[in-house]
Amino acid sequence: MSLFKRKDTLPIPPLDAEKYTTVCQYCSAGCGYNVFVWPEKRSGTAKSNAFKVDLSQQGQLMSGFSYTETMHNVITRKNGHKYNLAIIPAKESRINKGDYSIRGGTNALTAYTPTGVTRNRLKDPMLRKENGFVAITWDHAVEILATLTKSSIDKYGADSIAMKFYDHGSSGLGFEDNWGAGKLFLSGIKTQYLSIHNRPAYNSEVWGSRERGMHELNYDVDDARLADTVVLWGANAYEGATVFYTEHIMPNLQGGSIEEKQKEFASGEPAEAGRIVIIDPRKNATTSVSQDISAERVLHIRPNLGTDWILANAIARIAWENKWYDNDYLQKRTDMKTFEDYKSKSLQLSKSLNTVLADAEKITGVSRQEMEQAAEWIAKPKAGGFKRRTLTLYEKGIIWNMKNYDQVAAIAQLNVLTSNVGRVGTGCGRLGGHQEGYVRPPAPTPGSIYAGGPPKNVDKYITGGGGKIYWVGATDPYLSTPNSQFFKKMVKKRAANLLDYIDNGGIPLDPKAYTAKVLEAFEKTDGLFVVVQDIYMTHTAQDAMLILPAAGWGEAVDTSVNCHSRLLRIYDKFMDAPGEALPDWKILALVGNKLKALYEAEGNKAMADRFSGMDWKTDAEVFAAGSAEFGDNKVAETDEATLSAECYKGVTHEILRKLGNEGIQTPVRQDPATGKLVGTKRRYKYSFASKDGLFKWYGTDAWTGYPAEIAKYIDNPTYPFWFTTGRSQHVWQTMYHDKLIPEKYLSLPLPYMEIHPVDAGKLGLKSGDMAEVFNEEGSCIALVYVNDATKPGLVFGIMYHAKGTMNNLISSYTDPKTTMPWYKGTKVGVRKYTGKLDDAIKTASLLSNNDFTT
Amino acid sequence: MSDISRRKFLQTTSASAVLFLSGLSRDGNTAPPKGYPSKKIGNIKNLKVNEPLAFNYPDDKSPCLLVKVENEAVGGVGPGKSIVSFSALCTHMGCPLTYSKGRLVCKCHYSMFDVALNGQTYQGLASQWVAQIVLRLDAATGNIYAEGVEGLIYGRIGNLKLS
Ligand code: SF4
Ligand code: FES
Repeated sequence: MSLFKRKDTLPIPPLDAEKYTTVCQYCSAGCGYNVFVWPEKRSGTAKSNAFKVDLSQQGQLMSGFSYTETMHNVITRKNGHKYNLAIIPAKESRINKGDYSIRGGTNALTAYTPTGVTRNRLKDPMLRKENGFVAITWDHAVEILATLTKSSIDKYGADSIAMKFYDHGSSGLGFEDNWGAGKLFLSGIKTQYLSIHNRPAYNSEVWGSRERGMHELNYDVDDARLADTVVLWGANAYEGATVFYTEHIMPNLQGGSIEEKQKEFASGEPAEAGRIVIIDPRKNATTSVSQDISAERVLHIRPNLGTDWILANAIARIAWENKWYDNDYLQKRTDMKTFEDYKSKSLQLSKSLNTVLADAEKITGVSRQEMEQAAEWIAKPKAGGFKRRTLTLYEKGIIWNMKNYDQVAAIAQLNVLTSNVGRVGTGCGRLGGHQEGYVRPPAPTPGSIYAGGPPKNVDKYITGGGGKIYWVGATDPYLSTPNSQFFKKMVKKRAANLLDYIDNGGIPLDPKAYTAKVLEAFEKTDGLFVVVQDIYMTHTAQDAMLILPAAGWGEAVDTSVNCHSRLLRIYDKFMDAPGEALPDWKILALVGNKLKALYEAEGNKAMADRFSGMDWKTDAEVFAAGSAEFGDNKVAETDEATLSAECYKGVTHEILRKLGNEGIQTPVRQDPATGKLVGTKRRYKYSFASKDGLFKWYGTDAWTGYPAEIAKYIDNPTYPFWFTTGRSQHVWQTMYHDKLIPEKYLSLPLPYMEIHPVDAGKLGLKSGDMAEVFNEEGSCIALVYVNDATKPGLVFGIMYHAKGTMNNLISSYTDPKTTMPWYKGTKVGVRKYTGKLDDAIKTASLLSNNDFTT
Repeated sequence: MSDISRRKFLQTTSASAVLFLSGLSRDGNTAPPKGYPSKKIGNIKNLKVNEPLAFNYPDDKSPCLLVKVENEAVGGVGPGKSIVSFSALCTHMGCPLTYSKGRLVCKCHYSMFDVALNGQTYQGLASQWVAQIVLRLDAATGNIYAEGVEGLIYGRIGNLKLS
């Protein structure tokens, strides 16, 4: 009867099972997990087991110990023996306290097993031959890649190598791999055509905040429980950073953290249940869950797409008008010279309040009354004159908005204007997507257009015929890049041109002859040599010439920080990588060391030196090597702002192993008085991260309408709907694991769109129908859900899915100041198809996922 | 109707089967679960659409719900194959589930399970679908019996392993 095989009993780890600590491989919350490994045939007992829990009794609700069907697997180690694997949420972690989400709860199911759902992991390096891929050795793969890279640099310059690599933590990646990539691409190859996993350039997503002197991860999970008001701005916390919402924001809304507030707040300061301001065009699940908890403590504002910075400035103007700021703070902590620019351009003090708000109403579609309420909840002092404590978190709704730089800057400035940074219960920054783990040599482009930028757009370079080698690591741009339909078409064409040239009379077998032929193709065609380094066969990899198999989460030791506390922990290795797969840093080092040898062989010392320092033997060595990049961290607490946000200098894998789920919060200082390593709970209490320690103001741009790429659709009746994208709670990224897990793929069998009942009625659409979303950039066929998450005139789509991508519809526009795309806004038409995909949708629940009422 | 065999599922996905491999080892139908007691839990005559009945199964520490839904449901019995039954413990962290509008809702962290689709978590935190009770309808008497559990009841190492 079940749709897939279920279990009604689980194996028990014996007392002496191997135990490791790790952190969830997925979202920014970074929930702590404990891993148990024991031989398949051995078992503990209900009373005596490695969980140290009495399993003979019915488990109690919310006990903090959960062990469910999805938390167990059977793996095979390199020794050929089978082992039970249990991965359970850590009760002792202050991040999740035993809680977990639908994503992390399936961590165990993603483990590689030779005959299970993950059996098709990449296991060997593979080279494309005439009729598809063949397995080759690492020696062979490295020789080809290093020789081609060297020849290409020598002949066409470093910019002939383009790369797209992750720069984040978690997912089995972290400081170690990022240092490896940094050494190879930034110190060694030195190409300017670098791009980060989810965007076309090598940029910060938040230069608008960083260039003010404020790194985006400046708060602690505790602040979400201690805030008077939490603002979620384009940040769907319940679905995207789930446990951060359920363990830290939700208790605050429910009044469950009042006692904590009383302890932490000043004496006499009012401490009540928290409020929440949600600024999002959709009534997403975060909104409806919050409303179900306490509707009167929720303010939901739905601005027109692209207009948020105008809204932020209008709210700031209301706060200014009411004098809800601390002049002393502004004078001491912020740069009053640049404040003039902010006053004139962002607050628009030369215009009357009425004019500013009337303009803002027109542009944003948000009523003055809502703006005033938001301003009160964010900034109005509490009874007794105590400053309100507001934690503002933004994410992709802001970062991937039109005018990335101004959007981020406006929100950062609203919070500093109202002193909502550096105090208990405050903070302003990213909710985060992934966890982080960035350590690299300096990037070629240090900042936005105001700080040496903007960085190069690699997508435009590649689609315009630039580059010879395109090396993609742990990302799938065919799905994930903006304007992906066009991008894919061009890469495919260039890859095919290369293949066609070298296949003329048979592809040479010998590595030397092979590389010579490819170099000839570089000369004669616009051919692109695509290299994909990943754990699975991706959409992009299907057009690769060379595929490099990487180790995944749990298959190597790595380290990362989460986003809501910058909590650095070890993600220990508990199993072997499949086949020949290697950790990313090792793959990058193999190529780097080979390049060094090739340059040495021809006596080119200068070039050989660029690739030196990559002869690491262990993960711990790479971690240590990266730490030198952070410089001196012997600073007092009052100087924490001078440290890089992820500074871990002095911390080792061994120390982290001892700290386990407790971890240590970056930036880590070596205290000058005691010499001890000390973490940083909350940032910018004393000064900001600018040369003089003052927050730097910036006057944002005025509203000038939409960029040409979108303006062409306005008033065009073929594309009547505004269109935005987002994620589903169930699945992670491209579903690289989730597409294999029945609990996930049966629920979400197809890419989907959401449409409001009013619009659905006009088009004759019902939930379960199939429709095409289209515009002049491209199209995507999607399963239709009719619900009130969207509003009339607005269509929503899952950003991408293993079976299709809405990025086909997204324009190639990027913010000229930062080269950040506007992934979350365009206009589309919707066309209904007749017929249904009955079997696929037979397993997909069509119930409304934002209605929690009973 | 309700069983979707692996073969059928693959057919629907064959267009992109290379990238979308369905799970082999966890797919397919299971033999009826063994060792469970048979317990009379209600009679078809007393069941009204959307009005759930509470009972305990396989022992008194495991609250369950029996409900008749509007349409055919996976694992449903009765003339419309619309009578289904589930564990009433949320598979996320064990809170009580409430039946409403065709789904089971948990107010601890807002997981929601579709009772027509095998207890599928269609929203929320529970990574495990809720455990479904195997039902048998005695055609002569209209009595409904619980005769097994598919999936793990929350808080147990085995559904029949409490001491
Ligand atoms: S909330 Fe995020 S970190 Fe926590 S278990 Fe879920 S995916 Fe993992
Ligand atoms: S216990 Fe039900 S959702 Fe958490």
